[in-house]
Amino acid sequence: MTIDQLVQTTLGGLAIGCIYSLIALGISMIIRATDILHFAQGEMLMIGSMAGLSSFWLQGMPFWLVLLAGVLGGGLVSMLVEVVVYRTLRLRRVSAINIMIATLGVSIVLQNVARLVWGSEPLRYPTLFASGGVKFAGFTVSPQLIWIVLLSGLIMGVLILFFRFTRLGIAMQAAAQDPDVAQLMGISVDRTTTYTFAISGMMAGAAGVLLGSLFFASFNMGFLTGIKAFVAATLGGLGSIAGAMIGGLIFGLIETFSGTLISTAYKDAVGMVVLIAILLFMPTGLLTRGGREV
Amino acid sequence: MRSSLIARLGVALLLAAVPLLQSNAYWVHIFSLALIGVILAFSQQLLVGMAGIVSLGQGAFYGIGAYTAASLAISFHVPFVLAIVAGGLLAGLSSLLLIPIVRLKGSSLAVATLGFAIIVHLVMLNEDWLTGGSIGMIDIPAPTLFGFSLGGEKALYYICLITAAAVFLAFDRIAHSRFGRALTAISQDEEAARASGINIAVYKSKCFLVAAIASGIAGGLYAFHSRYLNPNDFDFQKSIDILIMVVIGGIRSLPGAALGAAIVVLIPELLRASGEFRLLLFGVMVIVFAGAGSKGLSGILVDLVKYIAQHGQRWLLQKPWTARL
Amino acid sequence: MSTLLDISGLSRRFGGLVAVGDVGMEVAAGSVHGLIGPNGAGKTTMLNLISGHLASSAGKIQFDGSDITRWPVDRRARFGIRRTFQNLRLFREMTVLENIMVGMHGQTHCEIWHALLRSPQQQAEETAITERAREALDFVGLAHLADMQAGALPYGSQRLVEIARAIVARPKLLLLDEPAAGLNGAESQRMVDLIRMIRASGVTVLLVEHHMDVVMPSCDCITVLNYGRRLANGSPAEIRAHPEVIKAYLGGRLKRRAKPTQSSQPEAAHASP
Ligand SMILES: Nc1ncnc2c1ncn2[C@@H]1O[C@H](COP(=O)(O)OP(=O)(O)O)[C@@H](O)[C@H]1O
Ligand SMILES: [Mg+2]
Repeated sequence: MTIDQLVQTTLGGLAIGCIYSLIALGISMIIRATDILHFAQGEMLMIGSMAGLSSFWLQGMPFWLVLLAGVLGGGLVSMLVEVVVYRTLRLRRVSAINIMIATLGVSIVLQNVARLVWGSEPLRYPTLFASGGVKFAGFTVSPQLIWIVLLSGLIMGVLILFFRFTRLGIAMQAAAQDPDVAQLMGISVDRTTTYTFAISGMMAGAAGVLLGSLFFASFNMGFLTGIKAFVAATLGGLGSIAGAMIGGLIFGLIETFSGTLISTAYKDAVGMVVLIAILLFMPTGLLTRGGREV
Repeated sequence: MRSSLIARLGVALLLAAVPLLQSNAYWVHIFSLALIGVILAFSQQLLVGMAGIVSLGQGAFYGIGAYTAASLAISFHVPFVLAIVAGGLLAGLSSLLLIPIVRLKGSSLAVATLGFAIIVHLVMLNEDWLTGGSIGMIDIPAPTLFGFSLGGEKALYYICLITAAAVFLAFDRIAHSRFGRALTAISQDEEAARASGINIAVYKSKCFLVAAIASGIAGGLYAFHSRYLNPNDFDFQKSIDILIMVVIGGIRSLPGAALGAAIVVLIPELLRASGEFRLLLFGVMVIVFAGAGSKGLSGILVDLVKYIAQHGQRWLLQKPWTARL
Repeated sequence: MSTLLDISGLSRRFGGLVAVGDVGMEVAAGSVHGLIGPNGAGKTTMLNLISGHLASSAGKIQFDGSDITRWPVDRRARFGIRRTFQNLRLFREMTVLENIMVGMHGQTHCEIWHALLRSPQQQAEETAITERAREALDFVGLAHLADMQAGALPYGSQRLVEIARAIVARPKLLLLDEPAAGLNGAESQRMVDLIRMIRASGVTVLLVEHHMDVVMPSCDCITVLNYGRRLANGSPAEIRAHPEVIKAYLGGRLKRRAKPTQSSQPEAAHASP
């Protein structure tokens, strides 16, 4: 592997890793707030990707509006699913495994709605970024990858600030940590949970636009990506915000490097082996202390 | 005891009569597929209903059984019964790969099995020399017994029915044995189970082994049923479908698992008329049944029958309009 | 009398907290041995160390001629150490009888294939298991509840089911963690009788208990723990007269006499060797 390849692969891994981080964050936030293992998180990415693409078709909108459309699409659908489906199931005191199955049902529904609306063929994404290589520290790199890394970093930065400094963000943290105490302090846990889903959907939606811009958009792009993001979240420590970010990056790098160095066909297998190894030897992930069974 | 025996015989007779009632070859083909699904659901029920293990990897054992049976039949002309048994055994053998992960719990274990399923699927997809790669395996010979071809849809239906019935009886016996009690104990309280002398890891591994053998046998049946294998028949989606079967039908009940399997296989077929919408409707049904609680459809039906038995009689006697009937 | 359980220098730390520190104790075969101490003294931790639900940080556990310090829980159970839990741990969705049948697991041997073939050996074993379970249920006085779902029973009966599950396999040593907690006066008295009957059937008992009206009449010998250390050891009469014990424990307790004595300590049974 030449230095140039090394740089390209690292950048590629970081970019895809950022996308995993964005989804993994949502998965972690949801599991922390509700103990739901959200198999439909990948579908929010798909919806975001499709929403962004549609907004482009409609108006030929500039990139930042496409991204906004994706964010809104993912956020709205995620919030809708929480309010209509998961909250109902929680009120009915349905067991955890049944809720997990329901998330699979939601995933099937969203995929098929998307197929009805957008068809089953992969859709080409427009070139949202200047094409052609740019020089960066002496290497020619794709500006797309750099944009993805920068934008994801920005989104995650905003999220951290949101959790640190806004009333709502702090309330959400409190409600996730101890719903009963939060309720006593006058926080509406139902509301913070809705926001949790909305925000995780928004991040997945953003990830959808970014991922679409790298390849294409299709109705079934979400599920496996969501599973990989779950692996990433587990890698960093399920339920930990920083863990999801780091886990996503590491998983993206592992996947991209094993794709280049070992084999493209088995790059997903390498990811799964990493997953199993992590579960076995670091069951609480890289960043969390103290076991937490979900 | 006696009434359950009568109920079982009744259901068996009814199922045996199905190809006579609906002899359209296409539908008989689909019914056989449903019976294969029933076996898969039984295997999942052993794991999730008895031992409390959520497996998202049964599709992998299903595939291993199918490819084993198909390879033996194609390359070595092994008789179909032996090929299917070998499929079950190899699937069981490969379940031993899960031994390291049985000490995981809950969703960690579920996700680890999903990882296993994804790896096995990639092997099927990429190892052309072993599995035919993305093209899969074609020209699987029709099953024959003592020189008679059993390749017809009806013959296959009965093969599937007999196998499913055998697996049902086997699992029913397991449920009421020392082994089954140990698994149930583990699912209810691991610490108390250990304190009663049960080695958790050993019993979970054994549970995976038995479930994998059943799934592998289902795979062997599938190879002869479809006569063509494609790796995408055994992707992780299949594993998820198998779990959905059990949850829809009702966790802990073998008849419930069978009901769930029938729904998962047949409903999309029945909804074919709704064309594009069928999978969408299926997804909605999954959500609704999951929301109905852990007793699933079988539990709801049992409650309904009990309710009717309790109140129906009184209605029949009291309601004035019944007199006019 | 010979020694069944011989513990020396046993310690267990949780982070900085020494829950059990350098405790030595001998339990004579055929006796009822009391383990008492204020809340948080380390009694449950001791039981968890003996049953194997917790790994010890230091020390040695010698049981019936074997060093079992490093044995896993299930092996100790099969070797003859059975227990109940302070916070009931029944198989809630199984029937009462099935719960107790599970208790026979370590003493029976039929494998999956026996069940599949319904071999004569399996049939005989199942009959024996059922019979023994019914005997044990009768022993604790719950024969009429055999087919109830365990989780649906009242609290006091659940305690008895747990005891039946622990003694059905005729263990050498029975560990009881506050069996009288949450019981009323009459029920406590029946518990004393039951412990006497268990002892008479040849099972050695290690009894952790708060209720002095259960401990004093039941025990042959008592060990007192305080802050994880052994404070005293002796006959009930000696313990009652022991000045340190009165100061640390009995004196304090007398003042709180009016309060029900159910401990609110969480069960310490997570980590394991
Ligand atoms: N799993 C655990 N983790 C941390 N601390 C524990 C754990 N189990 C017990 N402890 C602590 O050890 C001490 C002794 O507890 P325990 O053995 O339950 O007391 P007792 O049964 O005598 O009331 C207490 O301070 C308790 O908080
Ligand atoms: Mg205690």
